[in-house]
Amino acid sequence: MIETATQGVISGVMMGAIYALIALGLSIVFGVMNVTNFAHGEFVMLSMYLSYVVGTALAWDAVVTPVITVPLLFFFGIITYHLLLHRTLRQMYVVQLAVTVGLQILMRSAALIVWNAQPRALQYSFIQGNFEIGGFTILTSRLVAAVVSLLFIGGIAYFLNKTWAGKAMRAASDDFDAASLMGVNYKRTYALTFGIGSALTAVAGGLLMSFQQTDPVGGIRFGLLSWCVLALAGLGSIPGLVVAGIIVGVAEALTVSFFDPRSRLLAVYAIFILVLWLRPRGLFGRR
Amino acid sequence: MNAKTLTSRRNLFLLGGVLLAALIPLALGKNQYAMVLVTTVLLYAVLATAWNIIGGMAGQLDLAAAAYLGLGAFTTGTLLMRWNITPWLGMIVGGITAAGLAFLIGFPLFGFKIKELWYALSSSALVEVMRVLFLMWDQVGGPTEQYLPAGLSAWYSLRFNNYVPYYYIMLVILIAVLILTTRIRYSKLGYSLLALGEDEDAVEVLGVNSQAAKLKALMIYAFISGVVGGVYACLYGYLHPSFFSTSMSMEVAILGIVGGMGITYGPALAAIVMVSFREFLRANLGGGMEGLYLVVYAVILIVVALYQPRGIAPLLERGIKYIKTYFGELRHGRPADAESR
Repeated sequence: MIETATQGVISGVMMGAIYALIALGLSIVFGVMNVTNFAHGEFVMLSMYLSYVVGTALAWDAVVTPVITVPLLFFFGIITYHLLLHRTLRQMYVVQLAVTVGLQILMRSAALIVWNAQPRALQYSFIQGNFEIGGFTILTSRLVAAVVSLLFIGGIAYFLNKTWAGKAMRAASDDFDAASLMGVNYKRTYALTFGIGSALTAVAGGLLMSFQQTDPVGGIRFGLLSWCVLALAGLGSIPGLVVAGIIVGVAEALTVSFFDPRSRLLAVYAIFILVLWLRPRGLFGRR
Repeated sequence: MNAKTLTSRRNLFLLGGVLLAALIPLALGKNQYAMVLVTTVLLYAVLATAWNIIGGMAGQLDLAAAAYLGLGAFTTGTLLMRWNITPWLGMIVGGITAAGLAFLIGFPLFGFKIKELWYALSSSALVEVMRVLFLMWDQVGGPTEQYLPAGLSAWYSLRFNNYVPYYYIMLVILIAVLILTTRIRYSKLGYSLLALGEDEDAVEVLGVNSQAAKLKALMIYAFISGVVGGVYACLYGYLHPSFFSTSMSMEVAILGIVGGMGITYGPALAAIVMVSFREFLRANLGGGMEGLYLVVYAVILIVVALYQPRGIAPLLERGIKYIKTYFGELRHGRPADAESR
């Protein structure tokens, strides 16, 4: 009983770090640009497929593929911003929704055309395997993925706090007009923000591909999951995002081990709904 | 209502449209594939028109159409399979069940003042929750498909061997829902909804209970979707948790937005144009490229949303106005002068 619970918590914490990484991309886009990107899950799906393509074409390990997929996704994000999202910034909120939902359908059906409906997976990664600590099994792939995720989250936190571009992004998120007056080119800043947001999904995509497969409709799960993490964390706190990701990961893992593997999503949505009702600002939100 | 308003040009147009729609099966009757398509078009038209009440008028972006539709379908189908209760009754029960679910969801959501993005997300999550719940609920079929029995007679169990009756059932529902939304639009509820879609706090100050108004709108929409779900189950002849589809729900919302939020006939118009076009693409581009029609469809959605954010209904009205003034100038001078003379 207690062993199963501890085991669940251990694997949940490790998955939670990856969830936090996925949600971080969404969080900075939503926080800085106030754009609600319904296609975020599809960005993760696209990243996973690109990792698959790079991994099979060059016979690389999944964990190394972000070296190529991160720049690809970064440019994809910037192009998407200039083509679509830039035009929705001053529009009604529903227009944004319609455009990003359109993007979601577009990416999902494009993936269906290119890679067909069957799930794709890469060869066993070199981080596959497990080891034991005090009677508990730890999957090496999850551990490496969690550590890499935390490193990237730390890197983004450093970027936002210490560099000029990061400060510009935070300024634009706090007060758009004041930031413009202080010489922040909001168009470039927003493009950079969206580029980084989608580049982060490429990192997550590579890590996920090391132990999991991908299919064209799998995006929606990551999308709703990252909105759930974001709702739980609230805006503006990166440590909060990590904690929220871990809460979601642990809740998911415990449902799987104690209840029914099919119901893993239910726990996530239950948390989501409860947070919306009881604390709409999130646990650590500034606003 | 006097004779003049009854025979006004607008009503004649509507009557003509209904007659035209009623005659379609005579033209296509033999072609079963085409009949499924036009029935699907009507189905989306009903869902999008009903969505307009909560989405267009009240401004709550609901993405849970398929949750209510699926619940209605499962209620109707299970009643028929277990207790041999006719779907005519079953679809009403399905609608009431769906409205009950809407109450359970809407009461706390609106009570806690959850709106905009967070309302959209939680309604989208509702569809997934329903899908997972029905996948795990083995008593109503779980992950296996449940086929509806043909039963005693085609009329009793609503299982016809061609699609023409379904088409007419859908058409009747569409007309009823269109009349209903027009009535709501110009009722106290409609004005409250439109106002709170603009500014909720101001409406509260004026003494409108916005929670109750939104809840009413949500329940009416859920009831209609549930009834449609009952017909949906009989039309396809089986039950499966894949009825709880997030993409279908999003499509309904998009048709409502593209049609023009709050314009009564807009969503139905959008459904007729867009769904026909989608099915046309599916039939002509289908081939080896599964999914290509959806790419084209998505691009059109994005373009309409970007360049015609108020929807296609205002575009149509502007077109008609332009044609009117263009030919109005057949007589010299301004049309207004000519008429007053």
